[in-house]
Amino acid sequence: MELKIIHFYPDLMSLYGSYANAALLRRHLEDLGNTVTVETVDYGQTADIAGADFLYMGAGTERSQKAALEDFRRFGGDVKAAAADGTAMLFAGTAMELLGASVTDCDGKVYEGIGLAGFTSVQGKQRFVGDVYATTPLYGPAVVGYMNKCAVISGVETPLLSSLNMGFGNETEKGPEGYHANNVFASELTGPLLVKNPLMLGAVIAAIYRRRGTALPEDIPAYPYEEQGYAITEQQLRLRWDKK
Amino acid sequence: MRKFLAILVCKAGRFVGKLVGKGSSLPGKYALKICPDILSRVELPPHIIAVTGSNGKTSTVEMIAAILRASGKTVVYNEEGSNQIEGVTTMVLTHATMGGRMKADVLLIESDERYAARSFRFFHPTEFVVSNLYRDQLTRNGHPEWVFDALRPAMAPETELILNADDPLSSCFAEGHDPKKVKWFGMDECSISTKEPSGMYRDGAYCPICKGHMEYDYYHYNQIGAYRCTKCGHQKPATNYTATAVDLDRGVLTIDGGVEIALAFRSIYNVYNILAAYAACRECGVDSGIIQKVISNYILKNGRMQKFTLGQHHGTLLTSKHENSVAYDTNLRYIREETHDPCAVMVIVDAVSRKYFTSETSWLWDINFDLLNCGHVEKILLCGRYANDLAVRFGFTGIPEGKWELYPDIREAAALLESRGDEDLYVVTCFSDRDKLLDLPAVKKEAL
Repeated sequence: MELKIIHFYPDLMSLYGSYANAALLRRHLEDLGNTVTVETVDYGQTADIAGADFLYMGAGTERSQKAALEDFRRFGGDVKAAAADGTAMLFAGTAMELLGASVTDCDGKVYEGIGLAGFTSVQGKQRFVGDVYATTPLYGPAVVGYMNKCAVISGVETPLLSSLNMGFGNETEKGPEGYHANNVFASELTGPLLVKNPLMLGAVIAAIYRRRGTALPEDIPAYPYEEQGYAITEQQLRLRWDKK
Repeated sequence: MRKFLAILVCKAGRFVGKLVGKGSSLPGKYALKICPDILSRVELPPHIIAVTGSNGKTSTVEMIAAILRASGKTVVYNEEGSNQIEGVTTMVLTHATMGGRMKADVLLIESDERYAARSFRFFHPTEFVVSNLYRDQLTRNGHPEWVFDALRPAMAPETELILNADDPLSSCFAEGHDPKKVKWFGMDECSISTKEPSGMYRDGAYCPICKGHMEYDYYHYNQIGAYRCTKCGHQKPATNYTATAVDLDRGVLTIDGGVEIALAFRSIYNVYNILAAYAACRECGVDSGIIQKVISNYILKNGRMQKFTLGQHHGTLLTSKHENSVAYDTNLRYIREETHDPCAVMVIVDAVSRKYFTSETSWLWDINFDLLNCGHVEKILLCGRYANDLAVRFGFTGIPEGKWELYPDIREAAALLESRGDEDLYVVTCFSDRDKLLDLPAVKKEAL
């Protein structure tokens, strides 16, 4: 297949190795025999969202996030239409907050989100940081990663991670985290998320294929470093969690 | 009375602590419990110099101390690196008379970026040097703008700021500060400047004030260079202390057109540390000739390079900081540029931090490992618990896969090297992991 990834604001929203989510996804899609193009979007640039197979935005500082939001709002209608059409997308880190109804900064100023979902984000002067070990409804094994945010996110009805054994979720310690509906994935987890979690990467690839109405090839390449990397982090975090 | 008691307890605690080899923050902690505002009740020296920043503060502080001492001043500074308020309190009180007068001309403080506001609640530095602010230990620091916001309350109106003109973020501390109380150091365009940015991320692409696009006349490294925001006009200011020429091949730095300094360590980062130390000392009235004499060929006591042998290999361990891509890039560039002899490189990521546990490895994606993609680097050993994370990252470099191998067990990698080959060996790792190699019986440390 010929597949197109749109990567929004790759320099502005680039914290915590965000680009690696898009780079690894591209690599895996190419290994499956696809031709993949990555289109980057900066302020004021156009993007053919309807023609994309995957939309991506990574984490940025709170100030960068507001600047991204000011520009990204013009894509709101198209992104919502793409979501309704089953387009796969991942909004990682602070980019997740843009999908909601609003983002309130630490001084109380409210910024309107694109409203793909009804949740709201309120940022404070305290950061929630720490390793995360979590359960997802998507598959059996644990999700691992790191939380590094200052927002409390309320009103998520369909989280990506249903519960956390360790770490801060959308609005509480060990509470549900992220957002997932149809083929829309969003999470504040860094790692980066798809690099640290091969099964989550698999879920995103499956979503891309599903929307195209194409079956995944039966012969899928093995990625021993990614699998081992995940296994060791999962083991290390579980050891800590067991100790508690 | 409380003041007297706090000083007494602190001095006694420090004395006992030294005998039993305990750290330097506990006596200060007790003193602060007895007298919480003790730091505002003591008589401090005429110069209180604080140094902070993501990289280079320990080296800068050490050089400032050496220069000031050579110029005849008595300097007290936190050589043990206890840079939170408790450590600062210990340092101040143990060097004070029982009446509370500090016996020094200069109090020099290496200050942690996140805790500076707390440390300087009861007194303010007379000079505040900020070397730079960029991505560093993001698991605890959040991101550079978060650190900027945390540091800002530490900048009192009466404090003279000594800022890096070439850093678009830390230069913003001048916003709203009395311009007469801001001094700038920076580097002119020179032999090492480039027209294109280097590094894996572009934190200089957007203005830290308005998030408009930035343009650069030239870069020195990462986002450090001559920037100008196309939207709000935030730009590199004119400098008071300037590196007017740098020749890293000859190892010569020229400051303000005439002060020539021989570089013991030929790196751009060392140049900036020297420049910051030069600016701070000049602001304290030290003659440039004294600075030149002290700093030329100055070898840092806190040097992070360790020479050793392992089997037939001559090794150099370059201590980096995990979670700090600029520190890594510095050492990778050193391996790339300092030698052309065939060599092997070991990268060890076993414990991400020695202070806290985390499995967070996203910072590996911020490091420019492609710097090792050069002919003389013949083999790369990826070692430690997170060797697989390193391998995934290396899969996205241009380095051929046959050049790197995984050794999750550091001892296994060392045993292999001991039994095979005689090429030079460079090791890049953090304080948290360096002794896992250096303490092995087969490794023999050497003096520099």
